[in-house]
Amino acid sequence: MSGFTTTGASVFTDIEAIPKGILFWRSLTHWIGGMGIIVLSLAVLPILGIGGMQLFVAEVPGITPDKLHPRITQTAKRLWGIYVLLTVVLTALLMFGGMNLFDALCHSFGTMATGGFSTKNDSVAGFSPYIQYVIILFMFLAGTNFTLHYFGLKGHFKKVWANEEFRNYTFLILVSSMIIMAALFFTVGLPAEKSFRDALFQVVSIVTTTGFVSSDYLIWPFFAWFMIFLLMFTGGCAGSTGGGIKMVRIMLLFKNSLLELKRLIHPQAIIPVRLNRKSVPQNIIFNVLAFFLIYIIIFAFGSLAMSFLGLEFESAVGATAACIGNIGPGLGIVGPVMNYGLVPDIGKWLLSLLMLLGRLELFTVLILFSPAFWRR
Amino acid sequence: MYPFKFNPIIKVIGILLVIESLFMLTCIPFSIYYGGADLVPIMISAGITLLAGMVLRAAGNKYDPQDIGRREGFLVVSLTWIVISFFGALPFYISGAIPSFTDAYFETMSGFSTTGASILRDIEIVPKGLLFWRSMTHWIGGMGIIVLSIAILPFLGFGGMSLFFAEVPGPEKEKLHPRIAATARSLWGIYALFTAIMIILLLLGGMNLFEAMCHAFGALSSGGFSPKNTSLANYSPYVQYVAIIFMFLAGTNFALHYLMLKGRIRKALSGMEFRAYLLIILIPALVITISLFFERGYRLEHAFRGALFNVVSIVTCTGFANEDYMLWPRYAWFLIFLLMFAGGMAGSTSGGIKTVRHVLLFKNVSIALKRLRHKSAVIPVRLDNKPVSAEIIHNVLAIFFLYILTFGIGSLILTATGLDTISSVGAVASCLGGIGPGLETTGPVANYAHLHFIAKWTLSFVMLLGRLELFTLFIIFHPAFWKR
Repeated sequence: MSGFTTTGASVFTDIEAIPKGILFWRSLTHWIGGMGIIVLSLAVLPILGIGGMQLFVAEVPGITPDKLHPRITQTAKRLWGIYVLLTVVLTALLMFGGMNLFDALCHSFGTMATGGFSTKNDSVAGFSPYIQYVIILFMFLAGTNFTLHYFGLKGHFKKVWANEEFRNYTFLILVSSMIIMAALFFTVGLPAEKSFRDALFQVVSIVTTTGFVSSDYLIWPFFAWFMIFLLMFTGGCAGSTGGGIKMVRIMLLFKNSLLELKRLIHPQAIIPVRLNRKSVPQNIIFNVLAFFLIYIIIFAFGSLAMSFLGLEFESAVGATAACIGNIGPGLGIVGPVMNYGLVPDIGKWLLSLLMLLGRLELFTVLILFSPAFWRR
Repeated sequence: MYPFKFNPIIKVIGILLVIESLFMLTCIPFSIYYGGADLVPIMISAGITLLAGMVLRAAGNKYDPQDIGRREGFLVVSLTWIVISFFGALPFYISGAIPSFTDAYFETMSGFSTTGASILRDIEIVPKGLLFWRSMTHWIGGMGIIVLSIAILPFLGFGGMSLFFAEVPGPEKEKLHPRIAATARSLWGIYALFTAIMIILLLLGGMNLFEAMCHAFGALSSGGFSPKNTSLANYSPYVQYVAIIFMFLAGTNFALHYLMLKGRIRKALSGMEFRAYLLIILIPALVITISLFFERGYRLEHAFRGALFNVVSIVTCTGFANEDYMLWPRYAWFLIFLLMFAGGMAGSTSGGIKTVRHVLLFKNVSIALKRLRHKSAVIPVRLDNKPVSAEIIHNVLAIFFLYILTFGIGSLILTATGLDTISSVGAVASCLGGIGPGLETTGPVANYAHLHFIAKWTLSFVMLLGRLELFTLFIIFHPAFWKR
C-alpha cells in the first residue's frame, strides 16, 4: 500500500538484505502508482467534482467535465509519455553519475512517482552530491503539475510561469530552504554547500511528498524539523504525483482568508477569490475549505488513535502526517533514519488506510462510508 | 484621511481606564489586611491609570454615539485589550514583584484575556494585594468577553455570532447602542450572582475569603489563575467538585443561564450546542477515568475526579489543575491536547474554537459528502431545526483555517526561539485557546518563566488573537482597513 500510494513509508529495517527482484518490484509499485495518480487527478477526480479539482485542469486540452470517456485515454497517453520520458532522462543522468542500472531505475521510479522507496538503508545520503542535486531537480519536476510540463515541452514557457500555483510552489520551496539553510549554517555549523544541499533536498523531498532522505532532520534544531513537519501538510502542485493538501488549495485558503477580512470591512461588497486572473466560483472555495477541515480532522483522530496504540506524541503525529500526505518518513521512531517496523499491527493497517485516504483526496474514500452512498 | 474617527475611540478607552483604576482600588483592603507591602505600588498604578483615563476622556471630548461604526468597533475592541493590559501590568512592575516588563505584560494579558498562563515561578511569595489584582484582571476580562460576544461581535457581523443570540432579547444588528446596555447588565448580573454563590460555597469548604474570591474569579471568567503554587491540587475533593461545577457553568452560554433563571429550562437544555458541549466533556472524561483506573491504579473516585476536573478545565479553557496530566498515559494527555482546540459554548467566557463551530463543522462535513452524491441537491446545514446560511458556514470554515494556521505559525516561532516542539505546540494551543497550562515544560506543574522574551511577546499576541476571535485583530493589519 505504501508503494502504490507513493507514500514510501517502509517497515523494512535492513533494506539491503532483501533480494533485488523484490526491491525492484517495491520501486515499481511506486511507478505504477504514480501513473494511476496522474489519471486519477487529471481525469477521474474532476468529473466527480471533488475538492475543486475541476478548476485546475480546465486548461488541459481534452478534458471536459461532462464527458469522461472520449478523450481521457488520449490525455492520459500524452501525460504518461511525459512521465516515461522524464523517468528515462533521470535514469540516464543517474547512471551518468555512477549508479548501476538497478539503483538508477529504482531511484527514478521513487523520484518520479514522489514515492520515496530507496534501495539503500540510508536512502540517498550515501550518494554523491551530483546525484543528490539531480534527484532534487527531478523531485521538483515530479511535484509540478504535469500539464505544465506539457506546455513546457511545447515551448510555452511564459504560460508555465504565468501559473500562480507553480510560482508559489517554487517560492515556498526556496524560502523554506533558505531559512533552514541559515539555521543549519549558523546553529549547527555545517559548511555552506552542505547546509544548502541538505536543506534544499529535505524541503523538496517533503514538499513534493517524496520522502527521500539525505540527512536526518531530527538531529537538526527543533525549529528546522518543526518547519519540515509543517511542510508535510503543503504538498506539491495539483495534477502532479505529489500528495498532501496541495499548493493550489493552500493558496486558495490564504486568499480566501484575506478576502474574508476585506469582506468584513466592506460587508456589502462581493469580492471573488481570483486565481490566475480568473475568479473562482464560491462552491469551489467551499469545497476547498471543507477539504482542509476533513484533512485536519483525520489527522487529529489518526494521531489520537496512534497514541492509543502506544506511540509517543511526536511519532504519532509524525506518522499520521507523513502517511496522510503520502510522504514516508515522519518524526520520532518513524523518522528519516528509522522505519515503521516498530508500529503495532493495527497501527500499520490504520496508516495504510490513511495513505489511501490521502492519496484519493479523502472524499473518494469517505463517500464509501457515507450511508447515502449505499442507499437507493 | 482615515476612514474612521479617532475621537470616540480615545474617549471609550479613556472611560475604560477610569473604570480599571477603580477596580485596582478594590485590592487595597486585601493589601492592608495582609501587611500592606504592595499598598503604595497599587495606589501609584491606580493613580497613573486614572490620570491617563481622564486625559484620554478629555481629549476625545466631542463624542457622539453615532460615530461608532464598524471600523471604530474593531479598533476599540483590539486597542482596549492592549491598552488595558499595559496599565494593568503597572502594579506588578512598579512593586518589583515581576521585575521584567515583558513578564508583567504577559501576566496581565494572560489575565485580561482569561488565559491563565503564568510566568510566576513562586506565586505564594507575591504580596496578596497583587495576587488579588491578578485574579481581578480575570474577572474584568470575563465581563469584557460577555459584552464582546453578545453585543459587539454580532454587531460587527462576525463569525456567525449573530446567530447564537437570536433568542436573547437585546442587540439588533443595525443599532449597537440602545439595548446593549440592558442585555449586558442582565448577563453581568448572572455573572456576579454565580461568582457570589461560588465564593460562599468555597468559604463553606474551608477556604479563607481571599482564596475563595480569587478562585471564584478564576473559575467564572474561565481564567485559571490561582493564588497557590499547586493550583487546586491541595484542596479537598469538595472544593474541587465545586470548581468543576462552576467551570462548567462558565463554559455555558450565558444566554442559557438567562433562560434557566427565567424558568424556561426545557428550552435552555434542548439546544444542540449544549448537548454537544456535554458530550465533549463526558466522553473524554470517561475514557480518561477508565485509563487512570486501570493503567495507573487510581481509586475510582480519584480517577473520576482527576479526569473530569482536567477535562472540564481544558474544554472550558479555564486551566485550573488538580494534578499533572503530563504524568498520565500518553494518549490521555494527547486527548487533553486535542481538547484544547474544543472550547466552551459561544456566549460563554471560555475561549477556543467554540462548541457551536465544531457542531457546524461536523454537520457540514456530512452534508458535503451528501452533496457529492446528489450533486444538484441543495442541502442546508441545520442547527436546532433552523437552516444556517451558507455565509455563516463559510465564515466558520474560514475561522477554522485561520485558527490552525495561527497555531502552526505560532508554534514555528516558538521553536525558533529554541523551545522544544512539544512545549511549543502545547504553549501555543493553550494560549490561543485561552487555557493556561500547555505541555511538557509549559505544562500544568510548570510555568512560562523560562521562555525567551520573543516567545513571551508572541504568546501575548496569540492570547489576544484567540480572545478576539482572530478576525477582529487581524483585520486591523489589512491595508484595506486603513483605506476608504
